Amino acid sequence: MVKNQSIKVKELTFAYQDEQPIINKLNLELDTGKFSLLIGPTGCGKSTLMKILAGLYPKYAGKLLAGSIDLAGLKTAMMFQNSGQQFTMATPREEIVFALENLGLDAANYQERLKLATDFTQIDNLLDQNISTMSGGEKQRVALAVLVAMDIDILILDEPFASCDPHARSFLIQKLAHLRDQGKTIIISDHVFDNYDSVCDHVYAFEAGNVKQLSLAEMEQLFKAVDYDYHFALPEDQAAAFVLDQVQISQRRLLLKQDQLKIVKGKVTLITGANGIGKSSFFKALTQLIPYEGSISYEGQEVRKAKSRTYLKDVGQIFQAATDQFLTVTVKDELELSLKNNPNVTMDEVDQLLVKLDLFNHKDQVVYSLSGGQKKKLQILLMLLSSQKVLLIDEPLSGLDHESVKQVVSLMKACQEKYQQTILVISHQLGELATWCDYHLLFDQQRLSYLER
Amino acid sequence: MNPSLEFLLIFIISLELSIKNNLYINLIVIAFALVYLVIRRISSKKLFALIAIPFIPAFTIFATLFWFNGKSDPYNAWSLATRVYVYTLTIACLAHDTTSSQFARSLEQNFHLPSKFTYGVLAALNIIPQMASAVKQIRVAGMMRGMYLSFWSPMLYFKAILVALNSADNLAQGMESHGYTEGQKRSVIEVVPMTKKDWLIFALLLALFNLGIFIL
Repeated sequence: MVKNQSIKVKELTFAYQDEQPIINKLNLELDTGKFSLLIGPTGCGKSTLMKILAGLYPKYAGKLLAGSIDLAGLKTAMMFQNSGQQFTMATPREEIVFALENLGLDAANYQERLKLATDFTQIDNLLDQNISTMSGGEKQRVALAVLVAMDIDILILDEPFASCDPHARSFLIQKLAHLRDQGKTIIISDHVFDNYDSVCDHVYAFEAGNVKQLSLAEMEQLFKAVDYDYHFALPEDQAAAFVLDQVQISQRRLLLKQDQLKIVKGKVTLITGANGIGKSSFFKALTQLIPYEGSISYEGQEVRKAKSRTYLKDVGQIFQAATDQFLTVTVKDELELSLKNNPNVTMDEVDQLLVKLDLFNHKDQVVYSLSGGQKKKLQILLMLLSSQKVLLIDEPLSGLDHESVKQVVSLMKACQEKYQQTILVISHQLGELATWCDYHLLFDQQRLSYLER
Repeated sequence: MNPSLEFLLIFIISLELSIKNNLYINLIVIAFALVYLVIRRISSKKLFALIAIPFIPAFTIFATLFWFNGKSDPYNAWSLATRVYVYTLTIACLAHDTTSSQFARSLEQNFHLPSKFTYGVLAALNIIPQMASAVKQIRVAGMMRGMYLSFWSPMLYFKAILVALNSADNLAQGMESHGYTEGQKRSVIEVVPMTKKDWLIFALLLALFNLGIFIL
């Protein structure tokens, strides 16, 4: 296998349309056969650089204004941030066949590669399931399986674990390290630094359109686990926002079978659980998107019988995919729409919040052209402005850098205190977020149960 | 039977029947298709839908020719009305036997349809269920922000189109990132067979059908 070679990026300058270059005279040398981590604030150009390395840009967007890239003759393939939109075919098996046919492989090789990829990512049980029915974390695992099957030299992964549970995350990082040991080059971007400590060779930090390699000491500092001090209580006789009684939720298979459960009103409850266990489906049942059996009542009223128009004014959700939340075109339009329902907040106050979230300069931008992290921050702000009584929040921190996590958590905290909202939040990242939560529900073996800490 | 051949057979039969006005052969083809569907264990719900839904256009055609034509024309009324069922039931045979991806891959392998077209259409088909749930989700997202979007609201479809454009762009990049290059030769891993037996059945059915048209 090729060693001692490097991927060279020289004086690279890249811009979208007529804007300021997002990457400016970037020089970078990445060793092949190594595990490299790209870090930097949201919207700094990580995804852009990765798509250029993968040969997708400037073909599909933007302009290469100057500079060159030398991939040392190696093949690249990329896993997108939004991995669900990367599949041509309906099932993982069909997608792998499609990819391997593109590479000109024959049936014998296919069997071998298929087995390798499914064993590697442990997706045997997902192989013939329709991808559109999979959870966020499962899609990410399948996307990785396709790259493994393709036997690519350089794997470019854009926040590949954003929706993975901690177990899946450490499992996949170990697997990637294994690929590196076989001579593959791994280039990964992430905002969470857990599990990289023993496997990562180099870290590159983005700063103002350019990149700097961290020293060993800086890497050690980065990977040092931060201890957060958080506690969870067990609910007692507090008033309930939701009461579940003999509830069953099924989506192709039984997900939840709950005899009794109470969600405390005016408090923040954290929900954790493995990928695909049914966390998002539970939210869907609460927002009338999927049916359930048994009884879920909201303030004494049966959820399935509630009139959507009034019920959803009370019970809002921050969706896992930010773009699902947007209804108009520009950032400004979106904000104005949210303000219509909340006369207590003025545009000046919103401007201050935008400054806090580093979004102020993006006010006239089309929402879809924001970076992943910027979309997420805007989405959370929009729903906080709508000031619902109940807010269901599905993975609010995926794609956010450390600074943004702090901003977002403090904003959610302030909002919850002000309006005394009932909040249910799904997250795999505890830390900062956990300090804000009062209760903790673990979703395991088709049951939700409170844990104390 | 090979999906592409089955399609070709159905296409020729439909084409011939749209030129030739023959009630009896229509009825024979309908009966054949129904028996075939039952043998292939189609669900009764699907079968009911296959009969009920085309009834609307079929009845309209029948009524026009039977009651509202200057001179009532019962033979043509029956013949044209049954033709609607010929089209829907024969194509239902194909749809029942084959998934969209089998059909598309068969067209690519057996009839050498350009791969760009094959996979473009397939990817688009795979997006349809996502679009349906997207529309549902957009309505919910709207209501959560005090905006009620009815099913005829232009806003709903404007947003749906934005979602579709966005996924189309991602899809093109996704295909490329999984090694697809336009015009590049692809290998075949899962072969869609086209056997002598397929050809034999094809020729036999086509001959019988044409004989039927000729005699009746």
